[in-house]
Amino acid sequence: MSELAIRRGAAPALAVGALSFTYPQGEESALEDRQPALEDVSFEVAPGEFVLLAGRSASGKSTLLKAACGLAPHFHGGEIEGEVRVADLDAIAAGPGELAAAVGYLAQDPETQVVSTTVAAEIELPLEMRGDAPDDRARGVEEVALALAIPHLLDRTVDTLSGGELQRVALAAALVTRPRLILLDEPTSQLDPVAGDELIWLLRRLNEEWGVAVLLAEHRLERCLAAADRVIAMEAGRIAFDGPPTEFLAWARDNDPALETPAARLFSLAGIDPLPIGVRAARQTLRGMGVAHPPNRSSRRVSDPHPQDPVLNARGLWVELDRGDDPRDVLKGVELTVRRGERVALMGRNGAGKSTLLRTAAGLHEPVTGKLSVDSVALLTQNPGDYLVRERVGDELPGEEGMAALGAVGLEDKVDADPRDLSGGERQRLALAIALAGRMEGGNLPGLVALDEPTRGMDHARKGELVKLIGALAGSVDFVTHGVTKATRAAVVVATHDVEFASEFAGRVVLLGDGVVIADGPMEEILSGGWYFATEVARVLDLPGVVTPAQGAAALREEGP
Amino acid sequence: MKSPFAYRPRPRPLQLASPGAAVAYLGAIVVVAFLFSNPLVLLAAGAAAVVAGLLAGARRAVWFAVKMGFALALLIVVVNALVVDRGATVVARLGEWPLLGRVDVTFEALVAGLSSGLRAAVTMVAAAVYSACVDPDRVLRSLRPLARRSALTATLVSRLVPVAAADAGRLRDASRLRGPGAAPVGKAPLARRLLAGSLDRAVDVAATLELRGYSLDAPRARNRRSRSRYDRRFYAVATFVLAAAIAVKALGADDFQAYPTVEIGLAPETLALSALVALSGLAPLRRKTNRRSPVADGTKTSLCGPESSRRQGEREVARV
Repeated sequence: MSELAIRRGAAPALAVGALSFTYPQGEESALEDRQPALEDVSFEVAPGEFVLLAGRSASGKSTLLKAACGLAPHFHGGEIEGEVRVADLDAIAAGPGELAAAVGYLAQDPETQVVSTTVAAEIELPLEMRGDAPDDRARGVEEVALALAIPHLLDRTVDTLSGGELQRVALAAALVTRPRLILLDEPTSQLDPVAGDELIWLLRRLNEEWGVAVLLAEHRLERCLAAADRVIAMEAGRIAFDGPPTEFLAWARDNDPALETPAARLFSLAGIDPLPIGVRAARQTLRGMGVAHPPNRSSRRVSDPHPQDPVLNARGLWVELDRGDDPRDVLKGVELTVRRGERVALMGRNGAGKSTLLRTAAGLHEPVTGKLSVDSVALLTQNPGDYLVRERVGDELPGEEGMAALGAVGLEDKVDADPRDLSGGERQRLALAIALAGRMEGGNLPGLVALDEPTRGMDHARKGELVKLIGALAGSVDFVTHGVTKATRAAVVVATHDVEFASEFAGRVVLLGDGVVIADGPMEEILSGGWYFATEVARVLDLPGVVTPAQGAAALREEGP
Repeated sequence: MKSPFAYRPRPRPLQLASPGAAVAYLGAIVVVAFLFSNPLVLLAAGAAAVVAGLLAGARRAVWFAVKMGFALALLIVVVNALVVDRGATVVARLGEWPLLGRVDVTFEALVAGLSSGLRAAVTMVAAAVYSACVDPDRVLRSLRPLARRSALTATLVSRLVPVAAADAGRLRDASRLRGPGAAPVGKAPLARRLLAGSLDRAVDVAATLELRGYSLDAPRARNRRSRSRYDRRFYAVATFVLAAAIAVKALGADDFQAYPTVEIGLAPETLALSALVALSGLAPLRRKTNRRSPVADGTKTSLCGPESSRRQGEREVARV
């Protein structure tokens, strides 16, 4: 088929027919013992369509994207059956290189998606590989840079970019050949709410103005459902649902509530139909029902009836980091006190200083000025895998102290397991146990347990497990099951971009902006008082103190039909 | 933390020049250092490399290279003084040493060591300036048509080195954050973990290269001739310096002799060559353009202003 015919939409951007795929032994599916990662998957993506790929972790979303761009099986190996056609090219016969002109692919981690030193060279590389003339390459780079609003980055080196900027550069490199289809695997998982929303709306604009078909795998559905034309839900390697977003929400409510968006859950709990695909639709429905202004409830302040000693006390804390360019003040006079038993969400955009604050508390950075007094700290960094260096859990955590730490995270029955055989959530808990070991004098937890971006790439079910663990560590749920007495509860501070997750676990939110604390207060107050750092329910109802679907449903019930 | 020797694009002549011109210029300084043993010429070459780096904005690279070069030069001086017993002027008698036997430190051995050390230091500074000022992407691009597989390997390595360095930093932090009750992390498990992580990273980077079409047998892309308005300057300076050095060498002016007594020739040719080599360090100097005078109606044109010159230079980084 000619290129013109493809561009006119004569062929689907992606056609998958009866596709089954099994990873080779020892690859990603080692746990499933060569269970197929995809089984009898069939669907089509029309030119210019925006399709959202939903599903829990390990449901086959990433594998499907890899099959659509030729990485599976050409790069990863494995057995494949069925048909995959991208813009009328046989993706199983052609390799990823040949498909590169027809399909762009963007993965989770932008760090490994750039291969050049400067941004301009990175974007130009695919055109050069295709044999384009210098003038065409220069125009292609300029056009895609303008489309993605990154011309100011062209002269920068890639190692000076933030995560959001790097993700945009990787997207530009994937789009520069003007592919008809772009595949994205959780591209917002490492971005703050601002950068994440910007990326989604950028995709929508590319989709509308350039006619690029989009297939986007994402866990935070509330972020992108409103932009999608259609949703495909995966379950154990099969398609469980394929239809428009409104029908998807009804299906999720009945079949897999973990895939419901907060706004949809709000409506489900309040008994309102139809379920909204986004904030705008929810507001329109409420206005139509005459519930434009639900009762303005006063913010529910959660105060600890038994205030504890501070475990972290920072006064005028300044921290300077030198990443090789020029030394830069990352924390600029932070004032913060955290007490035992508190569950604190530390939020702010990328580069605001969240990680630096936690790392300074753990002793990895020295403050240049200010006072910092801190109790014993167990810090789990963004990559739990960095803590796991042995092939047996018991070898990582020997002795009684090791067992006590395993007990604190509920892994006492995994002593003989290989860390690689544990699930993602269990590996994270094991890494936390490694950080805790030896800091639990007499079985007591350390004063401060800090987690840095622990929900990256997590589905809702795993986030729920993490919420329970945080509750156990902070002492707000039954401790006995975890072998820790309630009197020894820790303060838990979690640096996160995920406002919905923060609304589930936190009692208090500290918002950092450019190295200083710009807001600090009860979770309900902070997460209902802004645009970006606000939950979806807060944006729908715009009521002080109402941030979760349950709170929102209660407010709507008070208002009545 | 970013390496001080890592490339940073700046709108300076050395960075804007094509890789060939920059290599020719810095290479000429290194060739002079290898052609001559006269400390005066070597000091001039060192000064040229330092000044060139500073004018190119690579202050940190130059500073680190000077420190490393100084340490290396010192080591060479000490080793030479201990192992070479030639020379007429004994400055210290250190008695009998195991393996070395009788050690007499001579002034001549010290000066000969200094000459070799200076040569190593000049090479080190020039290499640091190259690393910090010459865009590796453009170097690899120029290599790609000549040796595709080697260029692919170089691309992978050049990307994986900073990624592996970042991984190593993270692993080091994680090992520091382990609780005192966890098993300590020895160097071997850490190295194994780093290696395994690097292999995973290499697979990811290779997948990205595959997706960018690196494996395509596409028609070879014509590359824009990497020319810049500064190329001629650097080629001319390199040619002039090399020609002068060869001519002076041919005239036998490098009359430096360490043994049996030190003789440093200060012939006019040597002095002239030293001055020329030192002045060649000014080649990356950015010529200031004059702001055009206000026109009659009071408006100014900014075409030749420093700001537009800077912008033009910045665009050239992307374009060249």
